[in-house]
Amino acid sequence: MYEEPYRWIEAVGNRRQYLDEQFSKGSPVVALAYADGILLLTVSRGTPKLYEVYDRIALGGMGHPADLEKLRFSLLEMAHVEGFNRSPSDVTGARLMKYGLAPTIKQAFEEIYKAPFIAKILLAELGVKPERDLFLTINYDGNFEESRGWASIGATSAVQIRMRRYFESHSALAQTSLAQAIDTALCAWAVGSLAQAASEASAGEPSAEQGSEPRTEGDASGMPDKAALLAHVRQTVAEKPVECVLLERRGPGSAKYRALRSDELGALLPPAVSAPPTS
Amino acid sequence: MGMQGDFFQLLKEQGYQFGNPVAAAAGMDVPNATTILALKYRDGVLVAGDRRATAGNMVMYDRTDKVLEIDRHSVMAIAGVPATAYEMVRVLEHSFKYYRRTQLQELSFEGKLRAVSKLLKENVPAALAGTGAVVPVFAGYDHGQETAKIYFYDILGAEFEAVEYAVSGSGSPTIRGILHYVNTWGPQPLASLPEEQATIQALRLLTSAAEFDSATGGVNRELNLYPVVKLITSAGVQTIADADLKRLYEREVVRGRE
Repeated sequence: MYEEPYRWIEAVGNRRQYLDEQFSKGSPVVALAYADGILLLTVSRGTPKLYEVYDRIALGGMGHPADLEKLRFSLLEMAHVEGFNRSPSDVTGARLMKYGLAPTIKQAFEEIYKAPFIAKILLAELGVKPERDLFLTINYDGNFEESRGWASIGATSAVQIRMRRYFESHSALAQTSLAQAIDTALCAWAVGSLAQAASEASAGEPSAEQGSEPRTEGDASGMPDKAALLAHVRQTVAEKPVECVLLERRGPGSAKYRALRSDELGALLPPAVSAPPTS
Repeated sequence: MGMQGDFFQLLKEQGYQFGNPVAAAAGMDVPNATTILALKYRDGVLVAGDRRATAGNMVMYDRTDKVLEIDRHSVMAIAGVPATAYEMVRVLEHSFKYYRRTQLQELSFEGKLRAVSKLLKENVPAALAGTGAVVPVFAGYDHGQETAKIYFYDILGAEFEAVEYAVSGSGSPTIRGILHYVNTWGPQPLASLPEEQATIQALRLLTSAAEFDSATGGVNRELNLYPVVKLITSAGVQTIADADLKRLYEREVVRGRE
């Protein structure tokens, strides 16, 4: 029945709708450069969402754990075989994305008789110099984007646009300390998480337009203020832990990836989040 | 299979072959002589090696690094054919990282030891053919038992744990006797030496080995060439800077000092 082109387009459309629903309850992932490297952060329970891929490359994911594992393994295999056969400097985020992830994900998405990958992935690559830090994100359909300075993945493109807007209004990120970077990352995460919650709440209403901006209390641009963002983080952190990993430019050895221990993270969280809420 | 986190298996599936048995051509000298040593001191394990690479009676290179960090907590000192030894180190380095990244936990110390002897076993045909013999000393920090350990191997891959020290290479017979003497009748056993004293011993031992073995490079002060000395403690692997080695050498090793 899918032989006719319009049927195929319809099937792909259905598939998008199905996939969008799968991500609506996921936790956004944010990554940004700070003074001594790159930080990746999310708030989630259950399986980890942030991983080490290679010496200078880290991964953050949203979606089904089994699909993420499959893609993560294929990346690890590719990176290590390449790093061994050529050299570690030939393992780059751009190559992993273009020749590894993107074709696999796109093919699975378009083969409508088979299950697609329920996964969105963010790759962060620590450059030799800060100017060469690179972020890559890929959607469930195989579309990928490169960015500098920061990147994020969220349930829908509207959510991602809101997180991007938040990052844009907080420029000069590269010079910030780790604690400041964690503060910014948590707020950007909260922007995404609130937007997802709002669009999910409005999804049930028949009048809700697709892709329309979810409304929340805040300033003129519709962006919640910082207190509201931190309040949302504090609420979420009560039941789900913050997950945070670093790629440290001056870390010892060749592997620059390091997961922050919960006690380290506790000391770095903004006081409005770590302190018990005042009633 | 990838799901097991076995990088060596993955390489083999991709057609990689380790340790080709190629017979040495008549008259060909394969570089293979050296002196390496590992000893337990107060805070962990010290591993040291000279820097000379020879082929027959030729000195090929005087800046070889034979004490190689495999990860933040383990070191392999190599004696034998450098080509095979460096390849082994590369395989091990990637194997340990691949395991950690796929399985989300560090490979156990026993697992690391197994990986070393597995590679040596794969290498037996090449070792017997005369072009690939490697006799390493492996040292690392065992987080399970909270202690640093030393292991040495024969060319067939048998693994032995060293209680106090281990040596390998053409210069090792010279210093094995000294180590035994110093450890048994010296002012204090090696295992109680502080970091600086252990480093001084290592410099003296390697200098002695160079005295009697032409294939072991001694210290060359004109070129500012010192042995490689690494320390393994619970904090990880640390390399002693050349400046510190120079200071200790001039103060404690050079004869005729005031």
